Amino acid sequence: MKLDYRSVPYRILENSLQVVGIIIISAFASGGDGSDPLALFSFLMMGVLLVGAWQAAYVRNYEYRLDGDTIDIYSGVFSRREREIPFERIQNVDIAQNVIQRALGIAEVRLETAGGGGSSEARLRYVSRQEATRLQELISRRKRGDVTERDPGETGSILFELNQRELGILGITSANVRLLGLLFGLMIIVSPVAAEQVSPRLGLLLVFGPAIAIAGLVLLWIASGIQAVLRYYGFQLFRHDKELRYTRGLLQQYDGTIPLSKIQTLMVRENILARSLGYSSLVIETAGYGPGQDENVESAIPIAKRDRVFELARTIEDIGEPTFERPPKRARTRYVGRYTIVVGVITSLFGLYHWQTGNLPLWYAGAALWVLVPPAAQLKWTNIGYYTDDNYVITQGGFWSRRTTIVPYYRVQTISSTQTIFQRRRNLATLVVDTASSGGFWGGNAVALDIDDAVAEQLREQVHDEFHDSVEQRRQVSKQQRVSTSAD
Amino acid sequence: MTDGGDDSDGRSDREFAGDDNSNTPQAPREPAGDDEPGRSHSRVSAGSDSSDARSSPEGNDEPRSRSETISPAAELDDRGPTGDGQTAPKQTPPELAEPLPETIRPPESPAGLDQQTIEEYTTDRRSLNPTVQIQWGIWTTIGMLILGAVLNAVLGSFGVDLVFGGLLVPLLILIGLVWVVLRYRVWVYQIRDDSVYLERGVVTHVRTIVPYVRIQHVDTSRGPLERALGLSTLVVYTAGSRGADVSIPGLEPEQARDLQQRLKELAIEADGDDAL
Repeated sequence: MKLDYRSVPYRILENSLQVVGIIIISAFASGGDGSDPLALFSFLMMGVLLVGAWQAAYVRNYEYRLDGDTIDIYSGVFSRREREIPFERIQNVDIAQNVIQRALGIAEVRLETAGGGGSSEARLRYVSRQEATRLQELISRRKRGDVTERDPGETGSILFELNQRELGILGITSANVRLLGLLFGLMIIVSPVAAEQVSPRLGLLLVFGPAIAIAGLVLLWIASGIQAVLRYYGFQLFRHDKELRYTRGLLQQYDGTIPLSKIQTLMVRENILARSLGYSSLVIETAGYGPGQDENVESAIPIAKRDRVFELARTIEDIGEPTFERPPKRARTRYVGRYTIVVGVITSLFGLYHWQTGNLPLWYAGAALWVLVPPAAQLKWTNIGYYTDDNYVITQGGFWSRRTTIVPYYRVQTISSTQTIFQRRRNLATLVVDTASSGGFWGGNAVALDIDDAVAEQLREQVHDEFHDSVEQRRQVSKQQRVSTSAD
Repeated sequence: MTDGGDDSDGRSDREFAGDDNSNTPQAPREPAGDDEPGRSHSRVSAGSDSSDARSSPEGNDEPRSRSETISPAAELDDRGPTGDGQTAPKQTPPELAEPLPETIRPPESPAGLDQQTIEEYTTDRRSLNPTVQIQWGIWTTIGMLILGAVLNAVLGSFGVDLVFGGLLVPLLILIGLVWVVLRYRVWVYQIRDDSVYLERGVVTHVRTIVPYVRIQHVDTSRGPLERALGLSTLVVYTAGSRGADVSIPGLEPEQARDLQQRLKELAIEADGDDAL
């Protein structure tokens, strides 16, 4: 099958940089001064024609076939490339459509495999919207060896739909609280200093410094809120056979799939704003590739009441009611110590500043920050925990943005217990359960922070044993299924 | 590091002997409830529909992928107990039969390692070849020389006395060498019957379990310095987010190759389902 012909004009637009390049080159080559409107217009036409011819040739020569077990893609104008992707290796079939593409009725289809790394395994740019849906449907069924054609319009049962109220709350709570807090603190401190640098008579600016900082933060907050609202507008999550599907987006519309069989970990994220309102979000991580673009991990539920989120998580992984084990009290003492050191460093930096410049006479007032230390340690401590049952290890951590990571034992890759020199002093250790999930910096690693070191050792072995049991169990189940299917 | 575990395999002369992991596969699965609070909330019911949903799509392709994995195993038939002279059948594990009963092992599998071979393949807690200290020492010295030069330049620009700088570099190198010795002493690896176990790290102790089922592939690599010193590094890859985090340095080349071969066979034997 070929790409949709309407992708040619869009691809020209997309490559308008090339058009501009051609115009510039030909303007230089012709030796004209480029101010003649007629010449400029003809160059523009030439650019559009050249790029258009190239894009038309590309689209003409791009072909994909779905046969047997693979999707074969033949592409390239001068150097041809053939790529075969087995259906069973395709993890996600995503459809993206921005405003212009929607007006043209075309869509981009991205095929992702676990080995993807950053980029998609294949991107069909562009096919018609119906064809995109058909492909998505077809691949998801071929993946399971089902070759019958069904009505592509059919959708599964809706698991979750984002309503207006939740969208609003998403906008309010989507700011990166930790970053905001840090920036706020920084601006409070820096802006008077900066003001002083700008004009020595700072009286007024000293007052305005924090005000400007606050205004900047509010703007940042609004911007991130708008971004989140645009991104998750009209969010819907379906269960469709053995996949989850979602659609979202106002300007850039996005249809994605999450195959249930490829789910590595679930993560419930709730930043402090959302938490105080009783809301959470659910992130589903699959192997090797995070659905969605770039660094942003895709939410299965952008935001919903905490109970609702856990209810939905339970339909995916049967986690029951986890009751978290908190770290021992001496962990809290450790945080008090750690934050005291931070306060000490800040105060001595103030002191150093005063020593150098002599205009911070009250530098030792920085030590008053210590009043924040006990509550901070308490808050950190109460948000850390772990829980294990017969099927899952669940860990929790983080005050600003609390993450509850749910790892089924059979998704475990490696298990480590680590002990820093400071943890050793207090017989504490950290358990890290690694999975193959992709998600960014913290990834799908379940981290049980600062638990008793003996417990950590024992948990490590326990998780490993449970892992082996569950792998064995799954092997037997799939064996039985094979036997039963071959008997049919 | 905690001390005082019993160390059944005669490595108790080392400082790091002390935890009771050396024979962990035998560790009781369900210890007394009071030191393991999380377990008291155990739930038995597994989500039946979700686990069904998960296992079936992969079920179909499993036999195919297995035979592919095993295909290099034709050579396995002539592997003998040679090549692991250092392994004595430690850890007489009657418990082995429990987690992996005979019925589960696919008898048709051409690569099937019998229990005895698996036992022979396992090792006790081994430390690295002492020569690795020279390797690390050279790198550390180079690093510290650079660091010392940079620090001296920075301090010099602040007008700090150079006598101090002259002292600084040897001090840094001394710290580096102490670190190298400590690092060597901490490093332990063990081939268990179902996983690779590693202990490492001076400032942060890290103890890692890598189940064979999860091993994607195993490399041996030798840098120029390693070649000069007659050393080799074994790198174990998993699909985990930490990638090639699991590497065992400071092995003799044939030892590394032997371990690579063993891990390969053990990984084939473990034959996990497709985790991704």
